[in-house]
Amino acid sequence: MTLTSYKYADTIHRCFRCGYCKFPTNWADVNNCPAYARFRMETYSCGGRLWLIRAWLSNEIEWTDHLAKIMYTCTACKNCEEKCPLRFNVDIMNMITAVKGEMVERGLIPSQVKDFLENIQRQGNPYGKARAKRGEWTEGIEIPKYKGQDFLYYVGCVGSYDTRAQETARTLGKVLTKAGVSFGVLGGEENCDGNEVNALGEETLFEMMAEENVTQFKELGVQKIVTLSPHSYNTFKNDYPLHDGNFEVFHYTQALRDLIQGERLDVSRGLNTRVAYHDPCFLGRWNGEYDAPRMILNAIPGIELVELEKNRAGALCCGGGGGNFYTDFLGGSESSPARIRAREAYDTGANILAVACPNCMTMLEDAVKAEGLEDKIDVKDISEIVVEATGIA
Amino acid sequence: MDVVVCIKRVPDTADVVEIDASGNDIETDGLAFKINDWDEYALEAAVQLTEKQGGSIIAITVGPKEWDDVLRRALAIGADRAIRIDQDMVTADCYAVAKVLEALIRNLSYDLVLFGAQSEDFGSAQLGVMVAELLGIPHASLVVSLQVDQTTARIKRELEAGTLEAYAVELPALLTIQTGINQPRYISMAGIKRAMSKELQVISLSDLDLTQETLSPTVMLEKLELPPKDKKAELISGSPEESAEQLARILQNSGIF
Repeated sequence: MTLTSYKYADTIHRCFRCGYCKFPTNWADVNNCPAYARFRMETYSCGGRLWLIRAWLSNEIEWTDHLAKIMYTCTACKNCEEKCPLRFNVDIMNMITAVKGEMVERGLIPSQVKDFLENIQRQGNPYGKARAKRGEWTEGIEIPKYKGQDFLYYVGCVGSYDTRAQETARTLGKVLTKAGVSFGVLGGEENCDGNEVNALGEETLFEMMAEENVTQFKELGVQKIVTLSPHSYNTFKNDYPLHDGNFEVFHYTQALRDLIQGERLDVSRGLNTRVAYHDPCFLGRWNGEYDAPRMILNAIPGIELVELEKNRAGALCCGGGGGNFYTDFLGGSESSPARIRAREAYDTGANILAVACPNCMTMLEDAVKAEGLEDKIDVKDISEIVVEATGIA
Repeated sequence: MDVVVCIKRVPDTADVVEIDASGNDIETDGLAFKINDWDEYALEAAVQLTEKQGGSIIAITVGPKEWDDVLRRALAIGADRAIRIDQDMVTADCYAVAKVLEALIRNLSYDLVLFGAQSEDFGSAQLGVMVAELLGIPHASLVVSLQVDQTTARIKRELEAGTLEAYAVELPALLTIQTGINQPRYISMAGIKRAMSKELQVISLSDLDLTQETLSPTVMLEKLELPPKDKKAELISGSPEESAEQLARILQNSGIF
């Protein structure tokens, strides 16, 4: 690919690096691009990336491993699209994904990204853990296999394999059962949803995965899907229709909100605590769902919901998007976005930092420990808060 | 620069290894398979050479039909054509496999033959060297650096403790490639799809004038065993200061420092 054959050749030069892409909605600082917050160099900001893309595709600079890493530090959080004042802002993510796609095509990707994608190819999960173990998260609890029930409960890779996120997956299963929802899981037959594969620029692999999942879902008669992860929710809702997969998709916070409002889930037992809620990018900025998680928390008696300084469309990403929960290009520093976020949560005086995404859960729980705040603030998934408020054992 | 690269398909054991009922193979049910790690480095080395100096790459394997997938990956990374000798020799001894490969390679035109230094499954690290001996060409194993001109390969091979040994090897030659010599590129799914149109030739033992009898093994695999579980783990408890002191004492007593 050269600049002339690049799909966004007509627009990419319009970025004049005003720097708005680094701000949150409240203009409090310039650190709302997670990679820029971590490295504090213009090259890691969205504008810097766009200029580097243009330079690389024009042969003004050569490909280096460092250049590839700069591209892959993008967490696809969409803060830049939210803040960019120019009309081409709707394509910023696509501009970056397209250049990742070119790097994938030439085989020129960082080794961590290569491992991620090869693990997906071989085992169907980024960790490279055995495909045969995907269903092990269900051990020890009664959770039905999907056999034509109303909802497919889709768990995703992080919920299936990460020890902490597995707890969340099980907890949500318990809540859905308690509320009498007709649902089932795929367990060992579940495959990766591909959202991150797409964000990493491996378009052909993503298409194959989407097509396989759509075929499987249709064969099983799936019509409604409730997802643990906003990443799965995003791709099922926005990408799968392009692959003939038209399902009614819910993030679990939307399902729980409806169950509470429909009085099928009784949270009147309540929970006396102060909670700060962290908006996941793939639920918030990508899909505009800011209210469902807050409505759940507000419905629980005793909970005082406080807002993080940067919230809703201006929320700071945990740094785990775009595969970074695995590749960890943003880790290892006080300036790692998850650690900044952990400090922000502590500053609200909250006892609980509530999350609604297994990726955010793993990122923020590690960050709270790294900050030495584990005795001061707990990271809990909203389903875990609901379980406490309903008194389910 | 014409290069022949010999590759192998191995199980991606992830975190599951079980021995099957026969006792001399692992349970492969439910396992994913992949190209042998070392062979990926050998392929990358071949592609980097031909990208720079021109020439062709032939990828070879010995195995049943399922092994076509590793040849497709080789074609996707840059091999011009691939040959599979249709014979299941996973548990055969290296010498038998070496004879099969030699029978094919001796009729090919090549300047270099590359192998991975060893395989991930059996790990004997013998095959490449045996093939070189049968072909009667010079060889070097555990190669970590490679520069080639028209007549000579200048290589460095790895010895213990980070020591390197430098050689000039006259071509044609056979090298077994150590990991770390390069950074193997990612093979995209689009690349693998495109490579479906490249030539993948399948030949049999009889095409090489070989019979099953000529392959009778000199070494037989009798039994596989998982390493015995040892109960030597010691848990250190106490404050960080106390734990550090205990750990230091253990390390001191065991002669580590």
